[in-house]
This record gives sequence, C-alpha cells and structure tokens, in this order.
Amino acid sequence: MSRILIVEDDERIRSSMRLALEDEGYSITDVSSGEEAVAQFGEVPVELALIDLMLPGMDGFETCRALRRHSTVPIIMVTARSDTHDVVAGLEAGADDYVTKPFVAKELAARIRALLRRSRPDPTGQLVLSFGDVEIEPEAGVVRRAGDEVHCTRTEFRLLCELADHPGKVLTREHLLEQVWGYDYFGDGRLVDVHVRRLRTKIEPDPANPQFILTVRGMGYKLAV
Amino acid sequence: MGTLASDPGPTPTVPARTRLSGGPGLRARVTITFAIGAFALSTLMAGITYFTARASFLNERQAADQRQTFANALLVKNALRSPGIQVDQLIGSVDTLPGSLSVLNTGGHWYATSISLGQSQLPPALRTLVLQGTPASQIISVSGTPQLAIGVPLPAVNATYFEVFSLAELAGTLRTLAFALAAAALFTTIAGAAVGRWASGRALRPLAGVTEAAVAIAGGDLDTRVEAGDDVDLQELASAFNRMTANVQSRIEREARFTSDVSHELRSPLTTLTATVGVLEGHRDELAPRARSALDLLDGDLQRFTRMVDDLLEISRFDAGSAELSLDHVDPGELVRQAMAASERVGKDQRVHGTDVPVEVDPAVEGIRLAVDKRRFERVMANLVENANLYAGGVTRVFVEAFSQQPGDEPQSIRVIVEDEGPGIPVDERSHLFERFYRGSRSGQRAFSEGTGLGLSLVAEHVRLHGGVVWVEEAAGHGSRFVVELPIDGEGTEWGPA
Repeated sequence: MSRILIVEDDERIRSSMRLALEDEGYSITDVSSGEEAVAQFGEVPVELALIDLMLPGMDGFETCRALRRHSTVPIIMVTARSDTHDVVAGLEAGADDYVTKPFVAKELAARIRALLRRSRPDPTGQLVLSFGDVEIEPEAGVVRRAGDEVHCTRTEFRLLCELADHPGKVLTREHLLEQVWGYDYFGDGRLVDVHVRRLRTKIEPDPANPQFILTVRGMGYKLAV
Repeated sequence: MGTLASDPGPTPTVPARTRLSGGPGLRARVTITFAIGAFALSTLMAGITYFTARASFLNERQAADQRQTFANALLVKNALRSPGIQVDQLIGSVDTLPGSLSVLNTGGHWYATSISLGQSQLPPALRTLVLQGTPASQIISVSGTPQLAIGVPLPAVNATYFEVFSLAELAGTLRTLAFALAAAALFTTIAGAAVGRWASGRALRPLAGVTEAAVAIAGGDLDTRVEAGDDVDLQELASAFNRMTANVQSRIEREARFTSDVSHELRSPLTTLTATVGVLEGHRDELAPRARSALDLLDGDLQRFTRMVDDLLEISRFDAGSAELSLDHVDPGELVRQAMAASERVGKDQRVHGTDVPVEVDPAVEGIRLAVDKRRFERVMANLVENANLYAGGVTRVFVEAFSQQPGDEPQSIRVIVEDEGPGIPVDERSHLFERFYRGSRSGQRAFSEGTGLGLSLVAEHVRLHGGVVWVEEAAGHGSRFVVELPIDGEGTEWGPA
C-alpha cells in the first residue's frame, strides 16, 4: 500500500482528501505546514507528496524545493489557480504535475497512479540507451553522464527514456504528455516544457544551447542523433 | 387600491457630455483663420500700396503734362498774335510728346495735329467747360487706353488749346504693379495658411499625445499616462487626464480582483464538497434509494456550481486583462475531433448528453497548422456543444473549413462550424447572444436552470483573445449555425516548446 503525504493547511480539505484517497486504497500521512512536511519526510517512507501551494510560513514552492533536495519522490502540487505563473513556478520548484482546486478525487487518483508507475513508458527491451556521453539503463532506472550517476526524478527519467527511445524523431508535446504523464490531447504542454528545461540542466553541457534535447519550433522536441 | 396616475418613472439620466466643437476640425479651422487673416491683411496692404502709388504717379504725370500743355498754349497764343499766321502750320509746329494730340479751336474752327483724330477725342463736358473759359483736365478712356485731356482757354486770342496725352505707359506700369502686389498677396495668403497649419500642429501636438493615450486606454492599455513636460497650460490637462485614468484603472482592477478573490475563496469549500461527494459516490451501493437521489441532486448542482466559479474566474481574468494565450501549432481537424471527443466525455460525466457527430474536414484544411490555445479552444467547443444540447436538441453537424478573403488566395483563417436543428435564434437576439447572462426568449426553457449563463460570452472572449470572431446565423433548413473563425497565425503571447 503506497503512502501519500498530504501537505494542506485547511483542515476540512485535508480530511476530505484523506477520506477520498483512503477509499482509493492509499495510506495517508497528513500535515498542515511545510515545516512539518520536511520533518515528517525523514520519519515516514513516503511514495508521493501532495503539496498545497498556499501554505502559511514555508510556502508550497519552498516545501517542494526542500523535499527535492533529499528526494526524487513524485510531487503533485495543489493549486487554486492554473495561471501561468503559479503552475510554472511550482513545476520549476520540482513538482512533477499539478491539480487545480476543486479536483475530482477519481482524477487525482488517476494522476497519482500515472506518477507511481515504475517502469518506463514503453519498454523496448533494450538494456542500455545512450547518446553523447549519456548512458541510460531503463530497467535499473539509472542515468549516467560521463560515468557519473545523474539524479533524475521518475518523471524526468520517463521523459528522457521516451526521447532516447526515438532518437532523431520529433515528438509532439501531446505525445510526450500522453506517454509520460498519461494525459490526453488537452494536457498542459507547460509540463513538458518545464521538465525538458530541468532535464537539460542535468544532462546538457550548456543547457542554454542544448545539443541533445532540441526544440522543434511549433512542433515539439527531439533527441539529436 | 390602484394607482390613479401612471408613474412616469425616474427620468433617465443622460450622461454629461461636453460638446467640444462642431464643423470642420480644429486644425482646419485654425489654418483657414490664418489664411483669411493673411489674405485680408495682404490685400489691404496691397490696396493701399497700389492706390498710393497710382495717385502719386498720376499726380506727377498730370503736373508734367499740365506744364507741357501750358507751355504749348503760351506758344500758340503768341503765334496767334502774329498776323497772317497759318493755323494749320502752327498746330503742326507744336512740340508734342509721342502719342499725344494737340487740338486748337480758334474762331469756331478746330485744328488738330493728327489728321484722323481731332476734337471728337475731347470729352464733351471738358470741351464745354474750357470753351466757357475755365482751364480743366479729365482722364478719359479711348478704345481701352486711358488718356489725359487738358484744356486751356486763351481768351486773349479768342482761342482754346487742348492737349490729349496717352497714359498707356503709366497704365502698363500700374498693371505690372497691381500684378506684383496681387502675387505678393496670394503668396502671403498661402504662407499664412501654411503658418497656421504649422502653428496649429505645434499647438495641438500635446493634444495628439492625449488622443494617442486615450486611444490606448480605450484599447484596454490602462497603464497609459500622458506627460505634460514643462508646459504649464498643459500640466493641468495632463494631471486631470492621468488622475481620471488612474481612477478608472483602480476601479476596474478592484472589480476584477473582487470577482477573482470571491472565486478563489469559494474554491476551498468546493474542494471539500467535491472530495466528500466523491467519497459518497464511492459508497453509493450502501445508500438507501432516497439518499442516492439526494446525492445525485447534490452532485449535479455541485458540478454546476464549480463550473460557475470556474467561469467567473475566467471572466475576471478577461476583465483584468490578464488572460494569456498559450499557443500550440496544431492540425485543425485533429483539434476539433479531440475537442468534440472531450466534450462527449464531459457530457457523460455531467449528465448532459455529449455528441458523437462525426467531424467533417474540408480537404483544403490539410497541412495547415493552426496557432491555438488548446485549452481555450476545448472550452469553446464544449460550450457550443453544451449550448446546442441545452437549447436545440444537440449538435447535428460539425465541420472545419479553410477560409480566405479572396478566393484562390492562401487561407488566412480556419472556420469551425457547429450546427443544430433546434428552433433557431431570432435575428434581433443574435448580437446579444454572446453577452453575459443573456437569455433572451429562451429564458422560459428547461435549460434556464441548467446553464451558467456565461458559456457563450466565454466563447466570444476566448475567440477574441485569439484575434478571431464568432457569430451565429441560420443553418440551411432550420436551426442555428455557430461559426468560429480563427486566424491561422494567431496573435498573442506564445508559450511553445522552449
């Protein structure tokens, strides 16, 4: 049974989320502040965190960054607004996905399931994928650059595998959203954009002038061959 | 107890309007005024110059001609005193200027220096006056040429001497002068107009700045302010203008913020409600039939409420001018198919039947990539489908076509057409249909209690944000046809793959 950490200051929302997610079969640890979340995180093994952005004291962005410093656990941020700024800032703080209040429990459960999937999107059976000085071991979930291990979140890893599986082919944002996040056609393309940016800082020699993960304007992304 | 007199109701307040001016524009009027001023002044000056010069030339000439005439008259008088003088020879010997004529009357006979011309050249009034013994002169016109006739009575010899001088040369000089003066006046008038135009342009330049600012503000850019510079006359206008703009801006922002804040505040209880209703739905089987019916009602209205809050938040973003496009370049046919599929899914969830009408795509659309905000487009289609479901028994036809202004040109826009076979929309209601909470003649219908009242107004806002237009017309046969036209190269801020 997967344990989920809920960080939410509104007690009623917290209780209702606990009820809804327990019904979906998850164990819940809930806290009301970012500080508590960071403290709890070391104590209890957590497989996914749901973090509200508007928290008193240490806010959702800061909490997200604090958790990311120690862990690659999937993080879904809960936001009251889907405006460009908050969503992008949350993703840049390290979140894997976001849901907007009020959310339907079934949809949230679907998002959680998508992030908890362990394997890469579409295993081709290859043991090692590589480009440039980057090596990926899909089954082991390991990425190495020039021999040193690179710490990727599960979503970054899935995105990297998807790109590396189709070297030289343009992958649309819709395709990546579906393969990596399990979204349909109307998923938020900003998820892809921010994750690509994050991946570039980890594997590109010069993230501002990428030579591996290239942007194809108006189309999507591709891995250079 | 009935009302005896019908209440005329409150007098409608007419907004106070300051009439600025009528007729031609300010610049034109200043220019015309300057031109008229310059014309009047230059004409007056030219007139004075002309008449002064003319009088002075004429006096000089008259004095010279008189001296000549008196000298000749003296000569004639002396000659006539000598007995046996031949008058014919005498008159021939008079020293005259070229073009002038001497006429002598002595003893009732007329003698002249010219064979063809004679006393007939003399004006009768002058002739009579001089014959009666008074020296006189008169300017006359002979076949268009001005002439000066001077008569001197010579009572001592019982004769009268006349001399007629041509003023053609003087007239020519005066004509040249008049022409030069007229040209100068014309030039001055034009120069006056030009100065007027320039001066008014200069004086109105700050006004142009204000106009520009007002246009920008009317266009929605409320951050626009005008600068007065050092001009004290303008500082008052500028500061009043800026105060007004700031007031309008803060009011609009306050209103938009209020709507936005309310929507946000409502989200917390809605989140709890949605989650707990979801839990109840999960335990549906454990509920008694009456409790299930109650849960369905609760769920239905909770969804409607959520939609209203979402729509209000969306509207408040449009009102605050903070709505941004997140553009993708997509295949229009695929976009519409996906949006229809999504509306079908949503329709099922919300117990409003969706649609499985196939999407027809014009072959000309093939290969076009439309710059569009997918999320907003999905909302547009969902709202159009919902509108058709609520009021017209559902969508019956959806097609996508490429449109160009000139047939044969590259298409500039994509039209997405959604038709139904409902009762149609009266012509006079069509333009109001996209207004917020507008219900028109549909207000009595079942759907009145089901829609949010914001759907079509949001359709219009989303489409407008793309630089497109939406309208409704009559479908062939009967029913309505909603047309969404989106420019292929959409405007707006792009958030594409980075």
